[in-house]
Amino acid sequence: MYTYDTYDHAMLADRIAEFRDQVERRLDGRLTEDQFKPLRLMNGVYLQLHAYMLRVAIPYGTMNSAQMRTLAGIARDYDRGYGHFTTRQNLQYNWPALVDIPDILDRLAAVEMHAIQTSGNCIRNVTADPFAGAAADELEDGRPWAEIVRQWSSFHPEFTFLPRKFKIAVNGATADRAGIRVHDIGLQVVKNDAGETGFEVWVGGGQGRTPRLGQLIKPFLAPEDLLSYLTACLRVYNQHGRRDNLYKARIKILVEALGAEEYGRQVEDEWAAIREGELKLPVEEIARIRAFFGKPQSPTPAPVPVTENSAFARWLDRNRRDHSVEGLSSLVISLKPIGGTPGDITDAQMDAVADLAERHAFDEIRATPDQNLILPHVRNDALEAVWTGLVDAGLAIANAGLATDIVACPGLDYCNLANARSIPIAQAISNLLDETGLSEKAGDVTIKIDGCINACGHHHVAHIGVLGVDKRGEEFYQITLGGAFGVDAAIGSIIGKGLAGEDVPAAIARTLETYLDIRAGNERFIDTLRRVGPDAFKEAIYAEA
Amino acid sequence: MLKLDRKDDTHPIADAQLAAGGGRIVELAGDADWRDARAEIAGAVRVDIRFPIFNDGRGFTLATQLRQRAGYAGKLRAVGDLIPDQAQHLMRVGFDDVDPDRKGQDADWARARTRFAHAYQPGQGNVTPLFRHRHNRQDRDLAALNARYRDQTPQDILRDAIENEWIGKIAIMSSFGAEAAVGLHMISQIDPATPVIFLDTGRLFAQTEQYQRQLTLELGLTNIRLLTPDAEAAAEEDSDNRLWRRDPDACCSLRKVRPLDDIIGDYDALITGRKRFHGGGRMALPVVERINGRIRVNPLASWDAAAIEDYFQRFDLPRHPLTDMGYASIGCWTCTAPVQGDGDIRSGRWLGQDKTECGIHTPAPIADEQVAAE
Repeated sequence: MYTYDTYDHAMLADRIAEFRDQVERRLDGRLTEDQFKPLRLMNGVYLQLHAYMLRVAIPYGTMNSAQMRTLAGIARDYDRGYGHFTTRQNLQYNWPALVDIPDILDRLAAVEMHAIQTSGNCIRNVTADPFAGAAADELEDGRPWAEIVRQWSSFHPEFTFLPRKFKIAVNGATADRAGIRVHDIGLQVVKNDAGETGFEVWVGGGQGRTPRLGQLIKPFLAPEDLLSYLTACLRVYNQHGRRDNLYKARIKILVEALGAEEYGRQVEDEWAAIREGELKLPVEEIARIRAFFGKPQSPTPAPVPVTENSAFARWLDRNRRDHSVEGLSSLVISLKPIGGTPGDITDAQMDAVADLAERHAFDEIRATPDQNLILPHVRNDALEAVWTGLVDAGLAIANAGLATDIVACPGLDYCNLANARSIPIAQAISNLLDETGLSEKAGDVTIKIDGCINACGHHHVAHIGVLGVDKRGEEFYQITLGGAFGVDAAIGSIIGKGLAGEDVPAAIARTLETYLDIRAGNERFIDTLRRVGPDAFKEAIYAEA
Repeated sequence: MLKLDRKDDTHPIADAQLAAGGGRIVELAGDADWRDARAEIAGAVRVDIRFPIFNDGRGFTLATQLRQRAGYAGKLRAVGDLIPDQAQHLMRVGFDDVDPDRKGQDADWARARTRFAHAYQPGQGNVTPLFRHRHNRQDRDLAALNARYRDQTPQDILRDAIENEWIGKIAIMSSFGAEAAVGLHMISQIDPATPVIFLDTGRLFAQTEQYQRQLTLELGLTNIRLLTPDAEAAAEEDSDNRLWRRDPDACCSLRKVRPLDDIIGDYDALITGRKRFHGGGRMALPVVERINGRIRVNPLASWDAAAIEDYFQRFDLPRHPLTDMGYASIGCWTCTAPVQGDGDIRSGRWLGQDKTECGIHTPAPIADEQVAAE
């Protein structure tokens, strides 16, 4: 993984000094709250319902054991002994004190981490396929490009006060696990006929109030032009994105208003003026960054163990993924215990994951958009040892990709934007689907829950989405069906009127039962749904409601 | 109005014209289209871009486009609801100065505009983005660097060298000799933790050792790196302690050149106290040079004896105890004598020999290509 050089360390130190100064100026009144707010947000500091929240960036989801231990230590020393992994591969602390935050930032900086641009109307933390560098279906590891974009977007003089937040994702595999079509800009690594690397550029995707799928505006962008082209994209957006209406300020609205073709034409015009300039990436820099992202070797490859232990076998079956190197596997560590809070992890569990990564997994850990963790590189002969370690830590949950692997935003339990609770709904669904055995029977299904239309929980792109809304002081939940996150990205359709919270788990259980009744052979839930259409489930959802 | 650029005045003629009541100022809104603005700003002496609220970032893009696409090279001012935290953003997209609505925060603006020593992106005003800067270091155009440093004070040169050019990879070499206090004092004012390399040859005057302790303490230097000759090599090559007499070059090699060679890889650049007025081969000394592939920075190259003396007096710096006894340049006791009559300052070194330099600042006998190329 990437290691900071003197310059990166200096930039980070300067940034922390700047933030200390800003806190001081806020306290003595030189900065008003209106002025301080965007500045603290750009350092990851939110004001939530009960306390400040600090969102730590995990660039493209990649961490080592020292970083994970630092996250654990901060949870222990400054929070309530846990952290929360988000859908954008970040980690949130829900209870830090404002005065402690500069010290927390110092501790993060010591292990080359930060909270820079995890919020605010700027270019946010860059995300990538969590299996990058390991996936069997990968063309090329996308993370070097994500790192190049991370650096370019940090403290950008022109793009720090954008109309609205701006999210970039990079995917280097044939499957899309980064969600490039639901990002403001999605970069898909492709190869041309000559075998050279380039990018498809997808623009204008996003969820929230007005969900849209990104559109392809550039089928092949040469790598050395990456930064000049991104600059042109942002420049058109910064100048023409709407600033009169918060809800219409994202780039998706601009792209829709202009049409992707016209937006692309304006980008080309800007790009032509700067393409041959200072933004052209030097080949030495591309090589320098790429050299940090090697692939581990397995000199004496062992097969995946065959085991009599049914719990271990079940976990291998659900949570193990093929690796591009023979003798290695990737493992999903589910943060979705039955009835638990999706994405939460205790300090002791973080330490346990760090120990396992250090001992058995080439010192690498990933955070995923599904609020889980991954050990991307594990030797097959160490799989049992890792599983045993996870059992001891309470983290050997064999439900990766199942209906109980639920994604949920923090909702009204924490967030001051939320209209409704999402965590208790997730817990109730998880309990019911586990008790009834439906989670196991239904196989691959995604369920994602949001407590408001901002859709941090990605309900729009879930096979089954749940959206909490507030109607005259009462919480209701709308069900959407047919969304998807990936190459076949789709926005789910709203089925009908909202349900009361207590009716949601049973409605979802009936939906899965209906699927099991009508599926053809081994058809997956999403394939059945696409074949028969969402209306076929309407009756199941509203049966007793 | 607050200047953003570190230079004194970027547009003196425009300023003079405006001060005399002449010249046209054009104000543009942040959402103006640069193409439409071209005709309007033609012939303007100053262009102001208004920020209605500080977090409306359109003015940053408009400034960039006026500079990059419209080719506007005149004075550019940011006006409106701006906050000090935006100083570097404004400077790097091409503004010369700023007139913020909220006054009385000059100190915050001044601090903010030098907040970051580096940048990940290119920008106006010769900002080299890190993705390029990282790879320029070995091939840096010394001529350009020397041109930049030509009119700068030694303090400015040192500050730039330590905090910008070779951050974390630079050390100062000091003999703790007659003039050493000047450079060391300057360093102590910039970053007293800058490594100070001190070659303890085993042949130093006791007074030099005393002086080294005194200066270190008084200037608050926190990172003295003492280098001594390899004990085994010394026992073998100089068993009778007479090597300095038999073969002074071999003695310098054992006691100075090789100990330095052992650690030189830790740094990209070394600061020296050499000056042109020392004479001999130093008369053409550049501020920045490359010796055997490594950078030497000579911030005091242009200073003469009077400038040194002024500096000692101005800061009331302690003197090397031997200067009162006529020693103007002080090395090992074996090879240093007081200056005789009106001999030049280093004439007491290796007195009676052709030798004038110990070898730590001279190219290796086989000149490498990089040196030849310069």
